[in-house]
Amino acid sequence: MNGTTNAAAAVSGLAKSFGQFQAVKDVSFEVYPGEIFGLLGPNGAGKTTSIRMLLDIFRPDSGTVEVFGGPMAEAKKARIGYLPEERGLYQDRKLASTLVFLATLKGLSEAEAHERLDVWLERLDLQEHRNKKVQELSRGMQQKAQLISTLIHDPDLLVVDEPFSGLDPVNTRLVKDIIEEERRAGKAIIMSTHQMYQVEALCSRIVLINRGSTVLYGEVNKIKREFAGNAVTLEGQGDFEGLPGVLESRRENGAWHLALATGTSPQDVLRDLVRRDGVTIERFEVAEPSLDDIFIRVVSESPEDREGAVHA
Amino acid sequence: MRKLWLIAKEEYLRRVKQKSFLVTVLGFPALMIVIGGISVLVALGGRDARPLGYVDLSGVLDERVVPALRAESGRFTEMRVYDDEDAASAALRADEIQAYYVVPEDYLSAKEARLVYMESEPSQRTRQDFQEFVRASLVRQQPAEVRPLLSEGFNVAVRSADGRRELSARGIVGFILPFVMIFLLFFAISTAGGYLLQAVTEEKENRTMEVIVTSVSPEQLIAGKSLGLIGVSLTQILTWVSVIVVGVIVLLYANEGLDAVSLPWDVLGLAIAFFVPTFGLIAGIMITIGGIVTEAQQGQQISGLINMLFILPIFFMVLVLSRPDSPFMVGLTLFPTTAFLTILLRWSVSTVPLWQLAVSWGLLVISAAASIWLGARVFRLGMLRYGQRLRIGAVVEGLRTGRTPQLRADAADKEVV
Repeated sequence: MNGTTNAAAAVSGLAKSFGQFQAVKDVSFEVYPGEIFGLLGPNGAGKTTSIRMLLDIFRPDSGTVEVFGGPMAEAKKARIGYLPEERGLYQDRKLASTLVFLATLKGLSEAEAHERLDVWLERLDLQEHRNKKVQELSRGMQQKAQLISTLIHDPDLLVVDEPFSGLDPVNTRLVKDIIEEERRAGKAIIMSTHQMYQVEALCSRIVLINRGSTVLYGEVNKIKREFAGNAVTLEGQGDFEGLPGVLESRRENGAWHLALATGTSPQDVLRDLVRRDGVTIERFEVAEPSLDDIFIRVVSESPEDREGAVHA
Repeated sequence: MRKLWLIAKEEYLRRVKQKSFLVTVLGFPALMIVIGGISVLVALGGRDARPLGYVDLSGVLDERVVPALRAESGRFTEMRVYDDEDAASAALRADEIQAYYVVPEDYLSAKEARLVYMESEPSQRTRQDFQEFVRASLVRQQPAEVRPLLSEGFNVAVRSADGRRELSARGIVGFILPFVMIFLLFFAISTAGGYLLQAVTEEKENRTMEVIVTSVSPEQLIAGKSLGLIGVSLTQILTWVSVIVVGVIVLLYANEGLDAVSLPWDVLGLAIAFFVPTFGLIAGIMITIGGIVTEAQQGQQISGLINMLFILPIFFMVLVLSRPDSPFMVGLTLFPTTAFLTILLRWSVSTVPLWQLAVSWGLLVISAAASIWLGARVFRLGMLRYGQRLRIGAVVEGLRTGRTPQLRADAADKEVV
């Protein structure tokens, strides 16, 4: 990492311990304006701790954080919008006044905050609830309200943690559109989610963190190309589970999708299937791995077996 | 600075708009108004406007003193003289007078007069007026040079050996007022402490901390909330003091006999000097508790015990009044949590040596600074521990190493890693 890149956020060699427990060992990535960057990892991998260090909520034990070309400063906080996984708004206060208060803390005047709030409430279909107490709103409505507080001050860097949780399909589409719009407007967006299909649909680059370390980092397309041949799609009758060298077998749209471990080729799987009794194969093809497959494969394999992080 | 002000304003407005605040602040004045109103009604409504008759067989009473008494008090009962008891009795039956006194010939030796009335006894105020009439008549018979002394009495001034304090025997209001002020000030401080505890735990309960600290630093958040709550305290105090001032004026009007009130400026000065560090000490302790616990309810139980440490001097009121300079009282004076109340209580009845004031204030300021320092650090350690209590061992570890302590295994899943 160096200060000459135009990265909106860059972290390098981040490490953080809680007592004896090392939550983050070695995490590095950069995020640029105009991209949606996926921050992925299984539960407890250290994603939220990394985000908190990036946002100066936690101080890292080692490593560096740069935001907008330098260390975090009070003035830069107004250029950041954060939607944490642990959603929280003041439950006993009215929606509009809560959002205006949070917006003024991000540097907007009250008049400006009211003006922008009207637009967002209208867009997210919350206008008629503006004078209700937050606790009177449904979970989905609170989720949308929290998204308003993330976006109302028009931040240059957005950090959204599980932005689609608790939303119905209509609102999921709405939030997805908004995130896309922000990207087109040149904002740098860090999105952390477990919904891999959303990552595939939205993110151009990702970092995968496992057990506190970066294990996969780069462009989604390149990563997929690198992992091609590590999955097969087949149709037929019989038992397709418990095959050697297969990490996961799942049924999708009438076909079976098998994620292969490193060192297992599609031919190995085909040989094993042919030898199995009661198996009829109607279609067998090498599949482009989904991010799901890649995620499962990388996470399932012990990091000790790997030589280091894969950069694509 | 703008953010600090925004948080202070938000906290202030939110608190003063709460029903519980309105009940606390307005409840006291309402009580004062009711008491004052009853007092005025008793003083005014209970009086009989009819004159008071008297038959003077002793020759002691002198009608010439009445105009002077009237001039002193506009509501002095009208006195009507009768030559004999038959005439007075006839007037009483004719409802011309409310009652009459018969002052016997041997009044000066017997010191007793007889009061005659029909249904209800004259009010105490009316009887006092008659006694005043008798006293003024007796004084008039004395040489001119001793009359003022007899009519106005002595004013004994007690001065401390070093001449710093002077206590006058006059002015019951001047004696009570400091006590009232002390308790109000203290009540306001401890209420603000309770609010601060709520304000801290509320951020954790609502899971708002993570969003807030990406806009302001935890220190700014705490400082802003404290500032707002000092404002709430001052609003409370100013409302109450205004009501007390109005109440005293009303009471003075209703009871003209009360001595003139002089404000205890020295007590107020001391109270102000000790107000800020005491608030700081309570604030620091409450923030520390708020940083440790997960819900306001848990915090309130602990803060109840802490409050006891601050109100301890009240339990020793008798000792304060009888032996204000005892070693135990000196101990309470120097101990930071009890300094505020003890010093002001002692000051109201006695003097406090300068060295004790200085040492006590110094210790209070140091402990307030230490408690705020501790509060800010514990708050940082515990601010994102949603639903998880911070262990004392973890606090010590965090303070010692400056690192975030490990989560308890049984609750580790409550914090997102």
